Amino acid sequence: MSKSLLVISRQAPWSGPGAREALDIVLAGGAFDLPIGLLFLDDGVFQLAPHQDAKAVQQKDLSANLQALGLFGIDDVFVCSHSLAERGLISPASAQPLDSAAISTLIDRYDQVMTL
Amino acid sequence: MKFAIAVFSAAHAPSSRRALRFAQAVLAGGHEIVRLFFYQDGVYSAANNIVAPQDEQDIARQWREWVSQHQLDGVVCIAAALRRGVLNTEEATRYQRSAVNLDAPWALSGLGQLHDAAQAADRLICFGGP
Amino acid sequence: MSTLHVVSHSPFTDSRLASCLRICGADDAILLCGDGAYGLHNPALQAKGVKVLVLDEDLLARNLPLPDWADSVDYPGFVQLSIDYDKVNTWL
Repeated sequence: MSKSLLVISRQAPWSGPGAREALDIVLAGGAFDLPIGLLFLDDGVFQLAPHQDAKAVQQKDLSANLQALGLFGIDDVFVCSHSLAERGLISPASAQPLDSAAISTLIDRYDQVMTL
Repeated sequence: MKFAIAVFSAAHAPSSRRALRFAQAVLAGGHEIVRLFFYQDGVYSAANNIVAPQDEQDIARQWREWVSQHQLDGVVCIAAALRRGVLNTEEATRYQRSAVNLDAPWALSGLGQLHDAAQAADRLICFGGP
Repeated sequence: MSTLHVVSHSPFTDSRLASCLRICGADDAILLCGDGAYGLHNPALQAKGVKVLVLDEDLLARNLPLPDWADSVDYPGFVQLSIDYDKVNTWL
């Protein structure tokens, strides 16, 4: 059986290639049909904020990659409710909000975890 | 015990040296390293054009020599490397760039190699940041 | 299932240790290395009650005293910890 991997993404989408490169790990795992989970934590939750405009800073739109998660078989997408609240964001429809205790339990469920 | 080790920082970052010392302790302890994977700024830990001052540690060179000595599988993410200007002869030719700064023992390949290593290993250990 | 969290950022300039403490489970441990070793001065770390370890070379380099509620490890010890815990979560 394949080992499961939880990727914890905590970079804002505008801080360089970090957020995109974290997502690339997730999508690559999905392409290989591996059991991958994705959790947005800390500034990573800014990736889920609505109506962002990548063109304003001549960047590629990360939201297209986020929308591709389902196509790559990545259905386990979570977001830290504490990080959302701290930043004045409401829960997006695309990720399941988890409190701190639930995140601790979530990490336990996976064989491997990487936070980037 | 089988280890997959992923490095996310440049050779001048303390975490690159820490990764090397950890990897050396893994082999010294009789364990196996299934692959070293260099991602994000970790591609700079594999670049061969770094010139360390004579009285400072040359971590990129130490990585290169140690990986060669133990014939380990050292993979550098091709997308991360291209974005940061770390090119082997093949890629420099392909994109018509004048500098080649990656050669043996490193191989350029895709993120599938990270997942493949993680699947084959008992532990996935990442190093990065300061 | 237990996790060894590895933190190498100073908690005085960065939120990684705070987030780690927030989501850390009771059976987890935190290994401080690099500037993360300055986290030994963070009262929240001791208050959390999880096992705390520090890489010995980073204590020595920074001339930091080892509190009685933490342990130091060398590289072979770090390797052993990564085996003793089910997984390693490095806060990159």
